[in-house]
Amino acid sequence: MQASAFESVAGAVVDNATPSSVATHLEKHGNLSRPNSLAMPAVIASALALASCGGGDESGTPVAFSDFSKAQNKPDLLDKSEHRLAAPAGARIPDATAFLNWAENQFPQFFPGPQPNIDRPTFVFRAYPTGNFIAVASQDIYVLGVITQDNLVRIGTLDDFACFVYPESCQAGGTGITDNDAARFLLQAQFSASLEETAAVRQMGYAAWLDQAMNVPTGITGADWLRVNGYNAISRETQFYDRMDLGDYMVWNQLMTAPDAVRKRAALALSEYFVVAIQGVDNVEQWLVNFGMARYWDILSANAFGSFRRLLEEITLSAVMGVYLNTKGNQKEDASGRQPDENYAREVMQLFTIGLRQLNLDGTEKRDAAGNPIDTYTQSDVSNLARVFTGYDLDQRQNPFDQRVLVVQDQNRRISNQTPALLPMQFFPERHSTLAASFLGTTVPANTEGPQALAIALDTLANHPNVGPFFGKQMIQRLVTSNPSPAYVARVATVFNNNGSGVRGDLRAVFRAILLDEEARNPNGTTQSGFGKLREPIVRFVQWGRTFADLATRERWRAFERSSSADGLAQSPLRSPSVFNFFRPGYVPPSTALAASRSVAPEFQIVNESSVSGYLNHMMVFVSDGVYMRTTNASNPTGEFVPSDFFNVPASYSSELPLATNSAALVDRLGLLLCAGRLSASTKQLMVNALNVTAVTASSNDSQKLTQVHRAVYMVMACPEYLVQK
Amino acid sequence: MHFIQPQKHTRRAFLRRSGQLALAGSALPFALNLAAIGEAAAFTATDYKALVCVFLTGGNDHANTVVSYDQASYNQYAGIRSALALSRSSLTPTVLTPSLPLANGLQYALHPAMTDVARLFNTGKAATLLNVGPLVVPITKAQYNSTDRNRFPLPPKLFSHNDQQSTWQSSSAEGSTVGWGGNLGDLALSSNSASLFTCISASGNAVFLSGDEALQYQVSTNGAVPVFAAQGFLYGSSAASNAVRTLITQNRSDVLENEYNRITARSITAETQVSAALSGVSLSTAFPANNSLASQLRIVARLIAGRNGLGAKRQVFFVSLGGFDTHDVLLTQHQTLMSRLSSAISAFDASMVELGISDKVTLFTASDFGRTLTPNTGGTDHGWGSHHFVVGGAVKGRAFYGTPPPVSVGDTSAPEDQWHVGQGRLLPSTSVDQYGATLAKWFGVAQSELSQIFPNVNRFGGSVGAINYPLDLGFLA
Repeated sequence: MQASAFESVAGAVVDNATPSSVATHLEKHGNLSRPNSLAMPAVIASALALASCGGGDESGTPVAFSDFSKAQNKPDLLDKSEHRLAAPAGARIPDATAFLNWAENQFPQFFPGPQPNIDRPTFVFRAYPTGNFIAVASQDIYVLGVITQDNLVRIGTLDDFACFVYPESCQAGGTGITDNDAARFLLQAQFSASLEETAAVRQMGYAAWLDQAMNVPTGITGADWLRVNGYNAISRETQFYDRMDLGDYMVWNQLMTAPDAVRKRAALALSEYFVVAIQGVDNVEQWLVNFGMARYWDILSANAFGSFRRLLEEITLSAVMGVYLNTKGNQKEDASGRQPDENYAREVMQLFTIGLRQLNLDGTEKRDAAGNPIDTYTQSDVSNLARVFTGYDLDQRQNPFDQRVLVVQDQNRRISNQTPALLPMQFFPERHSTLAASFLGTTVPANTEGPQALAIALDTLANHPNVGPFFGKQMIQRLVTSNPSPAYVARVATVFNNNGSGVRGDLRAVFRAILLDEEARNPNGTTQSGFGKLREPIVRFVQWGRTFADLATRERWRAFERSSSADGLAQSPLRSPSVFNFFRPGYVPPSTALAASRSVAPEFQIVNESSVSGYLNHMMVFVSDGVYMRTTNASNPTGEFVPSDFFNVPASYSSELPLATNSAALVDRLGLLLCAGRLSASTKQLMVNALNVTAVTASSNDSQKLTQVHRAVYMVMACPEYLVQK
Repeated sequence: MHFIQPQKHTRRAFLRRSGQLALAGSALPFALNLAAIGEAAAFTATDYKALVCVFLTGGNDHANTVVSYDQASYNQYAGIRSALALSRSSLTPTVLTPSLPLANGLQYALHPAMTDVARLFNTGKAATLLNVGPLVVPITKAQYNSTDRNRFPLPPKLFSHNDQQSTWQSSSAEGSTVGWGGNLGDLALSSNSASLFTCISASGNAVFLSGDEALQYQVSTNGAVPVFAAQGFLYGSSAASNAVRTLITQNRSDVLENEYNRITARSITAETQVSAALSGVSLSTAFPANNSLASQLRIVARLIAGRNGLGAKRQVFFVSLGGFDTHDVLLTQHQTLMSRLSSAISAFDASMVELGISDKVTLFTASDFGRTLTPNTGGTDHGWGSHHFVVGGAVKGRAFYGTPPPVSVGDTSAPEDQWHVGQGRLLPSTSVDQYGATLAKWFGVAQSELSQIFPNVNRFGGSVGAINYPLDLGFLA
């Protein structure tokens, strides 16, 4: 750089070089690479004036650089000074080159790069055609030129900018949490992450953030949402009582819009453990489905951070569980040889509480003296426990027959109101088995009152030593990793057994223990092959909605079920194909390296040649077009396809659109929010290169920018680094 | 002591020792032909043969499927089943008339909705197997009640859906990774030019079809599903489409990512082959609508029709029908299921006749378990042994195989109470290993290979008490 070149531009008016433009620039671009709490814009202290020549020696070095001791201190020239206090010990400190590159990247109006370092014996500097210079002498940083009105200004030291240049290594607020760490935590604890949330996690730390998130008030319940939307209306025009899609609308709405996302994420995990399926209830009592499933979902949500024992009782007596696993209408043995239905007795043991094999605290199977695993129960235990679950049926006391709405005169079709679906099942003593029931070493004496027998049975199950490791391990699998170490399982099971205050089955403590465990939080997991899990399709879809559509849009959505492998997600909430969930905790994908190492990968049970393609095709439509839905109150409720009843409500991508012109920034943002920064450099480069082929500019129209965003979102959501959550 | 020890499968043990399993598991992400790495395949087929497993998910109520019909047995049945008993008159049109009547005047009829399968039976194209279920060794009720599990081992986790599904398909409980359909595929790989199309599921993932080398390939009822975003343009950008294709098919160092991409890569490669093979297929046989089993069997029939395009000489297919866990509303739900099962099987049989290869394709049923004979309030509970069907031109039909179980639920030492383990849960008198071995032999597996596929088969082959446990049940020509 020659002095003459400097002179040729030094006197030019730099249109952008107003104080507000610095601030604006920082707001628009600065917050990607730094913690939000530090994202206050810079203020340039004084108005610009036409700068006089800064002068220079023969080599182009400004004369002012000959004596740095004359510099004024102006620490807020490029940013507010407070952040410098937050830069902690141990943060990575940039060298001069790293700082200068950062400055060029952040302030291209003043320091358009790249410019080479110009080395001098005691300092290094770069010169810019805008008439500005930056020098680094030892640790000190100096600016000279148009933006300093030609005054030599010292803006601070390299240490002061550590948090800006290396935000990942900067320990904001002393929590030691990076943006990627925070996003990773958020994506385990809930469905999605936003920059506001990552900043909050970094500032508060994991535990404090989780505690407040667990206390976020629950929004509208599923059952109330159905009512508020008029889905409780009984009319021949809408036939809501026969609609199969309202339960799907309800649960997708809850997942997509609820303010208490951490609670809802836990509820989704619970719904894949205490399984009831919409279509499985529908086979029996169609009208019950919508409100009954909403009530069931509300039970899971309300108790997600409550007591396991209470949750077990509420789901046991819920109307839809009664229908699904046959406690509803289950009657005692009789003289004809009829026996109590064993379905609930078996599955409540096998799936909801203790499992088939006795477990150690760490989830491994106990062995007998001969080395064989030990069964937890026998057929006799099932047959005896089944007696406890006799005598229950829907509570119709608020649903008298003569008050039901007659909708089809000639068929005398009367529609019940929704109360039986919302109430616990009613106990009918005359249908209850009064025989003694012996199971798991407990005996319910003959002639015990039904509710008392139920309490004994549920206490016995909930207090069985298997529950902690059996339940705890599966919740770890849902939220964190498919193959937790035995020690991790043991730590969680220990908390299940005692929350520290002597309380057993405190689910708040259990989910807390799962998410805050060293094994979940250690960043080593992000690079360890096999750690983590396949992100399940429901969560991918919800994450997409929560990340890219504003709340008002999401509240409009009425999403259908997505169970199809070939053209859906191969999974839809509350639509498991059986009580064994979409996938089993012990599923080992055959013909894989996982099988060779005996590793489980539950979510792979719904992965096959059809479903991988189905997901990709499904997302191609949803990323660009949004949720395809039917008008509410369609006049053709259960009938044929009517195109005019259907329309799309797309996601807005309002935060991504401004980045459409900057492929690297766009991919960076998506990589952070969608997969906690897991995209490798080569993957990002591949995406950026592809996007740049169809690069859009500031003058491109919104449609072109939006399409560019769609491409970027799709590429990330298709790639394996996104699909596998670590 | 484990009586079912996959590691004792010599073939598997050999492969694991030699490290070839790991190779098959991870190093050949795009390979459609893995045969080259295996041991010498057991047979080289020149003709075409296929097995089609129809899995009745949830545990079929066998007693209302193959119903006791002679007056004495029916009376027993009706007395026990009471409100859940089918009326005898409703069974008359579906009475089975074996060419060699059963001893002691025993007669069976099929569920009244199974007119088609009854017709196939009575015209010699179908046979019925009585009281089949997982067994480790032939076992009596006294031995079942013994606590000496070392001498009288039982299949693991009896009466549990997921584990008995797995046991039927793979001889061991959930978590198993190798099924006997897959092992049949292993031996057939070298017969097929594209080995991926040896084991095909038109249902979800089933361990049945996974071999040591053979992979389960999954198709939808409409065929293979293309990845549109990888077909040239993604939202108008060919560069983005190319990038996606790379991202979703490339090798990855992370094992979960790599396995996912292997499946995607396989899906994309196979889709072009399957679509090409199906494009020339014309099959005029009508399959019933609103019947998921029929839809699955239809794509199986179309794939069989396109077998030359797929380069297949030996294939194993898996289809399924759910809803059989009839704890409640047995009568109405079972009626629907039996109707779907029967009409789907009939259409499939007709399609094989149309293709002229009926004697080369054998369909057989399987299920988690049978159910109790004793009813509960509206249905029945989990059992063990069950009755099954084999259908096809190679079947020596119009016959029963196995031993008719007494119709009884008593808990006495009388002979009629020795074939159930409470509430009429049948103690199987034919093992799944015998059933599978009979199918396998027809498929081309040498006698010497059978024990490598069916780990307990050599425990059968003689008789125990009054019951025969033949290695070949004899239902296939």
